[in-house]
Amino acid sequence: MGAYVLRRLLQSVIVVIGVTLVSFLALQAGGDPTYLFVSERASAEEIEATRRALGFDRPLHEQYLSFVGDLTRGDFGQSLSYRQPAMEIVLDALPATIELTLFAMIFALLLAIPLGVLAAINRGTAWDGSITTMSMLGQSIPSFWMGIMMILFFGLYIRLFPISGHVPFLTPLIAGDLGTAFSNLPRTIYHLVLPGIAVGTYSLARNTRLVRSSLLEVLEQDYVRTARSKGIPEFRVLVHHALRNAWLPVVTIVGLEFGFLLGGVVVVETVFSYPGIGRLLFAAINQRDIPLVQAGVILLASIFILLNLLVDLIYVRLDPRVKLAGGRG
Amino acid sequence: MTRRISSARTIIAACLSVALLAGCAQQSDDTIVVGLSADITTFEPGMISSRDNANIARHIFGALFTLGPDGEHIPELAHTLDISEDGTGYTYTLNEGLTCHDGEPLTAEDVAYAFNRIADPANRFTGNSPGFVYTSIGFQNAEALDELRVRINIAQRNPIAFGLITELYVHCKDSYEQMSLDEAAANPIGSGAYRLASWTRGSEVVLEKVREPANFERIVWRIIPEASTRTAELIAGNVDIIANVVPEQVEAINSSGRAEVQIVSGTRRMYVGFNLSEEHAAMPGGDAIQDPAVRRALQYAVDVPTICRQLLSVECERATGLVNVENANPNLTPYPYDPETAERLLDEAGWPRGDDGTRFSIRMQAGQGRYVNDVNVVLAIVQYLEDVGLDIDLELMEWASVYTPLLRERSTGPLFFLGTGGGLWSPIYDMTDIARVGSGTNYTHWSDPRWFDRWPDLVNTDDMVEQRVIIDEMLEVFYEDGPWLHLYFQPDFYGVSNRIAWTARRDEHVEIFEASLR
Repeated sequence: MGAYVLRRLLQSVIVVIGVTLVSFLALQAGGDPTYLFVSERASAEEIEATRRALGFDRPLHEQYLSFVGDLTRGDFGQSLSYRQPAMEIVLDALPATIELTLFAMIFALLLAIPLGVLAAINRGTAWDGSITTMSMLGQSIPSFWMGIMMILFFGLYIRLFPISGHVPFLTPLIAGDLGTAFSNLPRTIYHLVLPGIAVGTYSLARNTRLVRSSLLEVLEQDYVRTARSKGIPEFRVLVHHALRNAWLPVVTIVGLEFGFLLGGVVVVETVFSYPGIGRLLFAAINQRDIPLVQAGVILLASIFILLNLLVDLIYVRLDPRVKLAGGRG
Repeated sequence: MTRRISSARTIIAACLSVALLAGCAQQSDDTIVVGLSADITTFEPGMISSRDNANIARHIFGALFTLGPDGEHIPELAHTLDISEDGTGYTYTLNEGLTCHDGEPLTAEDVAYAFNRIADPANRFTGNSPGFVYTSIGFQNAEALDELRVRINIAQRNPIAFGLITELYVHCKDSYEQMSLDEAAANPIGSGAYRLASWTRGSEVVLEKVREPANFERIVWRIIPEASTRTAELIAGNVDIIANVVPEQVEAINSSGRAEVQIVSGTRRMYVGFNLSEEHAAMPGGDAIQDPAVRRALQYAVDVPTICRQLLSVECERATGLVNVENANPNLTPYPYDPETAERLLDEAGWPRGDDGTRFSIRMQAGQGRYVNDVNVVLAIVQYLEDVGLDIDLELMEWASVYTPLLRERSTGPLFFLGTGGGLWSPIYDMTDIARVGSGTNYTHWSDPRWFDRWPDLVNTDDMVEQRVIIDEMLEVFYEDGPWLHLYFQPDFYGVSNRIAWTARRDEHVEIFEASLR
């Protein structure tokens, strides 16, 4: 297990290096980056002096090596627009997105599992048809449209939930301010309901279908038939024999989905004025704040890689048949 | 079954109690909430550049003089100004008894420090103050003459220096000397009527009253990027003023009975630029637009009033050049839409229609998502130009990462669509965009000596009548042979709650000092 994890981590380093290369080239792709550091009316002399001072006159490979060197020292540069360390700003925004993503996933899983099971055990019935149709609908509706519709209905017409905004829970929690964190919690949840549902609906729909199809496949296995023939109650067959094996694809998808959601909630964050990492990076791209974009991309890529690894390890725990290559499993 | 119903009731009750616990209280009478579309990035005076950012900073930092809604100069931290005979020394006398938010007395030494700090090359500031104001006035330094008098030295006489200096933020010395640049960017200690109470990046900025003329105890600036969400918050009564209402939502707001939309003709000048650089002259169509006669012909080709009416939902104020209407040459009238004249002039200029019905091909570039309904406006302009025989190769680009870099390198074009901010207080302020051929904001590379040779005369005269004559002459050259296809001044749309009395300004300033409860 240890050797496997080590090897995967080394592979991850290669991926992260690839990400740094891509994010470095992104800086160059938008034209001469010197213009990002000078004012609109800067003279040609000022521009040239800045170019030299920042090393943009050096060959690209030298600039890249210098960039990577800074990264290894934990220096992601200063945000051009905030004038603060770029990684600090990204890390500030991360807890809000984690809250949103967690809420969305919990919402999706809490509903997807019972709905998927319900559809599977009632295969071919009206229950199955309705759930499958709703799932297809959930996967088809764009999250931003759903967000706007929910704002109109729940925020504006019946006024049950706030239209936009965010109340932090994780940030004070991380800072050790438990009092603030837990006094904020009801309002945190209250503000998460609409954006969380908007983000989570797609996952809900997909996971419902996944649980259903996965469970259907398992329910037709010989060992399930054997269990039934031994007179084991249906509920026990379902929970103890079938569902455990149906988890595998769900765990894979859910694990990776968390990573996708972390970087992919930009539209919903924008619609709900939610101050998360997606909106931060979107604004950074619009402002050509390249150090901020680089810090965000590298952080998200690293999280994604770690989640991927975590999913593989959970996989081994769930299914003893799976062996890690080079490991003892 | 009874148990299930009971569980459902419990869940619903729990949801409602969470909602009630969290509360959806409306703001109190001593608080005003403003919804902005763009995030705030800094409170470092030397780095502030966007209008939204400046609108908040304006409440935290005082200025020596300030601008009123109609462009008039109003004394604020200073009460008098003396300009030296050679026009290079501006001496301001401060009001007595001023303090900064930390209680430090505000003296001339503080003002000099604040202004010199922005100019310090070691700080590498690129905001509006160093990047626009200082380069425009040729800022040399600031010095304290005594406790209350501060002198600002500029390189040469400049008729708009006084107005530009109103854009500089004032703060004290001691607090800023003790802060790093990082700290200063997030913890402003200003001299204005409000102080920063909290700033949640990407979410909201809360200001608290320090002194008069603050008229609300708290101002909450909420960042709401999505237009429909801003509109919903306004109608729900959670926000009092919102900027950048999209034209399609005007009716929804006006019919809500809770808020109304104010549409004002802004000072942003919208135009199609002709890039006349050598590089672009070598491109297809680039040679044609070198001829002023061709540029003049194209002024008749675009039906600007129809574009405004159909795509912006308003009757726009038309432009005759780069100066706002109040300060424009009164003898000039906007070019009418007259495609026949356009075609005749193009024929006369030596660009008749060919066998394929076109006169010449040319590339037009435009960014998208920056101005009101910009993509549709650009598509309409392209259609009008094609109607008089041009074959337009349109390139719509992502604004920030693709179009802006091209602009900064002054290489958009040969035709390009753009809007640049202007002002009401001086025609020269609007003209300064093209003060030098090589200016970073002369995106057209226009170099007509009838314009540029007149700048020294314009700058060096004290005689307002003579100044006006020169301005009118220059504007006439710009109108006839200039590098812009004149379009309109962008209308600005603000949504204002019925509980607030506030009149939107034309210069994009949102000043809460001018708002009150109804």
